Amino acid sequence: MNLTLLKTGVRDALRRPWLTLLLVLSVALGVGVVVAIDLANDSAARAFNLSTEAVVGKATHQIIGGPRGVDESVYRTLRVQYGYRLSAPIVDGYVGARELNNQTLHVLGVDLFAEAPFRSYLAPQSNANASLDSFAQFFTTRGAALISADSAARFGLKVGDPLTLRVDTREHQAIIVGLLQAPNDVSSRALEGLLLTDIASAQELFDMQGHLSRIDLIATPEIAQQISAQLPDGLSLVPASEQANTVTQLTAAFQLNLTAFSLLALMVGMFLIYNTVMFNVVQRRYVLGIMRCLGVTGGQIFALILLEAAVLGTIGAILGIGVGIVLGRFTVQLVTQTINDLYFSLSVRSVEVQAPTLVKGMLLGIVAALIAAAIPASEAANVPAVTALQRSDLEDRVRRGLPSLTRIGVLLFIIGAYLIVFVQSTVIASFVGLFVGLFGIVFCVPLLTVWFMRVGARALAPLGLLGRMAARTVTGALSRTSIAIAALMIAVSVTIGVTVMIASFRSTVSNWLDQTLIADIYIAPPQTSASRTLTMDASLPERARQVAGVSSVEVYRNVTVASPDFGPVRLSAVTSSRTRSSRVYRYASGTADEVWRQVENGALIITEPFANRHHIQIPNPIFQLPTNQPANLPTVTLLTDHGAQTFRIAAVSYDYSSDQGSLLMTLDVYRRFWNDPDISSMAVYVAPNANVNQVEDAVRAALSGSIVNVQSNKALRETALVIFDRTFAITAALRVIAVVVAFIGVLSALMALQLERTRELGTLRAAGMTLPQLWRLTLLETGLMGATAGLLSIPTGLLMSLVLIYVINLRSFGWTIFFQPVPEVYVEALLVSICAALLAAIYPMQRLAHMEVAVALRSE
Amino acid sequence: MSYIRFVQVSKTFKEGERERAVLADVDAAFELGEFIAIVGRSGSGKSTLLNLLAGLDLPTRGDIWIGDTRISALSDRARTIFRRNHIGFVFQFFNLIPTLTVCENVLLTAELSGMSDRDARAQAEHMLDEVGLLDRAKSFTDKLSGGEQQRVAIARALCANPPVILADEPTGNLDVDTGMSVMNLLTRLSRERGKTLVMVTHSVEIAAMADRVFRLDYGKLLVQRAASAVDVGRWTVDVGQAVP
Repeated sequence: MNLTLLKTGVRDALRRPWLTLLLVLSVALGVGVVVAIDLANDSAARAFNLSTEAVVGKATHQIIGGPRGVDESVYRTLRVQYGYRLSAPIVDGYVGARELNNQTLHVLGVDLFAEAPFRSYLAPQSNANASLDSFAQFFTTRGAALISADSAARFGLKVGDPLTLRVDTREHQAIIVGLLQAPNDVSSRALEGLLLTDIASAQELFDMQGHLSRIDLIATPEIAQQISAQLPDGLSLVPASEQANTVTQLTAAFQLNLTAFSLLALMVGMFLIYNTVMFNVVQRRYVLGIMRCLGVTGGQIFALILLEAAVLGTIGAILGIGVGIVLGRFTVQLVTQTINDLYFSLSVRSVEVQAPTLVKGMLLGIVAALIAAAIPASEAANVPAVTALQRSDLEDRVRRGLPSLTRIGVLLFIIGAYLIVFVQSTVIASFVGLFVGLFGIVFCVPLLTVWFMRVGARALAPLGLLGRMAARTVTGALSRTSIAIAALMIAVSVTIGVTVMIASFRSTVSNWLDQTLIADIYIAPPQTSASRTLTMDASLPERARQVAGVSSVEVYRNVTVASPDFGPVRLSAVTSSRTRSSRVYRYASGTADEVWRQVENGALIITEPFANRHHIQIPNPIFQLPTNQPANLPTVTLLTDHGAQTFRIAAVSYDYSSDQGSLLMTLDVYRRFWNDPDISSMAVYVAPNANVNQVEDAVRAALSGSIVNVQSNKALRETALVIFDRTFAITAALRVIAVVVAFIGVLSALMALQLERTRELGTLRAAGMTLPQLWRLTLLETGLMGATAGLLSIPTGLLMSLVLIYVINLRSFGWTIFFQPVPEVYVEALLVSICAALLAAIYPMQRLAHMEVAVALRSE
Repeated sequence: MSYIRFVQVSKTFKEGERERAVLADVDAAFELGEFIAIVGRSGSGKSTLLNLLAGLDLPTRGDIWIGDTRISALSDRARTIFRRNHIGFVFQFFNLIPTLTVCENVLLTAELSGMSDRDARAQAEHMLDEVGLLDRAKSFTDKLSGGEQQRVAIARALCANPPVILADEPTGNLDVDTGMSVMNLLTRLSRERGKTLVMVTHSVEIAAMADRVFRLDYGKLLVQRAASAVDVGRWTVDVGQAVP
């Protein structure tokens, strides 16, 4: 590239600092959001992987059992009878530690003598700080525990300090006998949130005397197969990586959705870049024309414009990475909170800034800038030499190209619709379809703008010349007004789409809570993580039942069991006193009573997300032929304490409590197959004539001494909706960013228009148009643009909400959401569009006020 | 054989459904080192003729030759490369690039034609010296008067040493005295260097300085051998001596 040509680019950028800044900012904002989400996702994933590595260590396989774990005798047999020494017993679970601000700790109960081959950081010789003395104490002191030196330092704890550990409904005392000092930063993060005890202490903590959570093995596949063949019923041998994979898969859809939304912010940013570069090109058309005369080729001009975009894109991307790292600190908290609410216990202490994320953000910023600049650059490359320096030539070509542009738009829309409706294998195809479809609508915006302006001109006709001029100005500068309208339209439709989706989802969840939360009072141990199996004192239901005003008590057991087909699955067992309402079923193989009878006889109810996650076809009652035969649903095989058992599915129920899905059976059936007398929670029904609040207080008094949450139906509903709102906090934040980016887009387009029209406006002033008249003209123009964007955003936003509700959410999480029209959103959208456009007119109006007519008339 | 040849060149433009002929079967030949003036009413196609000669536009029919190159048969890119090496431009409105300094404006064409940075700068400074603006080399063009800007444009046009200089009303935006001094500079430098200077003008005085004067009228290029006899103001000249 010719050095002098480069200088024209650099000096041009410096001569228009606001425009340059706008381009840099649009890239920075888009990249910032993508990097922030990526960092949050990545930090969560890395924290999870590190903690999994710390817990799993070098184990290749694990022997796992049912909810009660693995009988200790199995370990003894393995080591003594079979002489298999590469095995280690583990008792693990989660506790809340009062001295660590109630942080959830993962307790790992280990046999230190068996540990060396598995978790090297636990071997005595590798731990400088944990002295021999502390290891002696580890075996001899009751409740002895080791925590990471980092955690201890952060909470001001030292060796000898007591720890109060809360497990479900009970509290236990432990004592720190040593600190785990990691050799490097990575290991240090791996040890974060880990509390180490010996096997006996952990068994006591989790009330698992005589049982282990699992047995870790280091074994070749052949040996693993031999061991597997010897295992008693109810136990299975699984590869160690399987557990971790299953857990990470849970959050995949959630994280994919966040990434898609962040890309949407980048897409809106691209409109802005397009607008800015196009404005730059239009401003420089005259100079570019001269250059073409002097022998600069179209290719050189194309390269020059792209190079400028790439350089500014790079600066924007670097800034964006900075913005992303700062934003990442907030998003990581939101993401971690959601993962803890919905998926599993995770402690993310800091944002992990990884090189690949930065490189990805950088490349995305530059590529977005290049793609967005490609059309203006090709426009610049085709600038004819001096003969056709007027922009009207460009506008003529845009108008001539309207039919083809619209045809491309319709084609893109059809391709998008096809991807959304017919490619059902992956949710990524739905997202691609949504993006392609949106681009299709964007391509139709210029023609739609022309139509709207015809109507606008007629509507504004009573205002006289100003009214007609306003509409014509918008059509006359279609190459950029339509892009500004498209950017605003996309941003506002994202707002409509997401708002309608969230409102529909919220109302669906609220209705579902009405259907399912039918008891009056709910009692459960405090939950610190979504994935834990909670256990409650089994005597509590009886104590509650004794309270005056209580008519009945329902007991639940929530556990994770293994299925040979589906891996670990969540199972809820419930006492079978009440039939469920037919409205909770997405599909039922009979009436509500018939379904419940089948469940009492050993059938299962699966939730909709479970069916979706495991690709179980749910019969569609609408398309089903009216026969007396219920549709065939597959069966579910579970590994019970009495071997593998196959269960029939009686119904598929709606469920919005998790996206991993669960199974429901009666407690009687559960206890027939699993040797687990424990309970997890209970629900209390109040007698019809009793006062619920008084009974609630009485139940709370009756259960005093146990750490349980006693919540009324109303309080529980509210808690559920608080978690719901928390889950959508990021989505709401992204929505705001989209609108901000669009606002800047409209502002830049209007500034561009005004700058280009300096001479025309000067002429109008010279011809006798007053300043207020010019202001009115500007407001009319921007108002028309805003109104067009607002009106177009309503059908687009509606379509987007339908895709989000009926396709993306269903395919990502398996939730059927019932559409809520939310009419006020459309009015709001129209108002927001018009207000954004009118606000964007303030700066151009200020410029008008300071315009020197004589100078403006000389302007080229 | 003449250096520049127009052979049966026609150019039409579409105006809605209708076609308007601006040039009709133009034949002309210009020699190397010759100063040609082209006169005609506004809208008679003078600038179109220059654009065709510069390869900025293509004829609807016919061929244009410069030296051994049939430029009307070249691709856009090839015409651009040809233009940068063979044609210098002087415009009515100077058309300097505002983001470049005076010196950079001049050396741009030399750089484009492949001269080394050092040679291009030396040549640019030499040309600025020739037009008397070396002391303004580092100024930006908006600080210059109209006459100075046009002198920079002349330096730019000659800097890459092209054999042909095209000038589109180079004095049209200047007062009479400044215009005359600019013309003297342009003709002197062109003649000293043996350039073919093709100029569109409305000025009788300037047309009088040319070796030959052509008039464009209703799409035809008509020659007036005695330049001084052309009454460009009233267009009353006998057009009997059309070329060829």
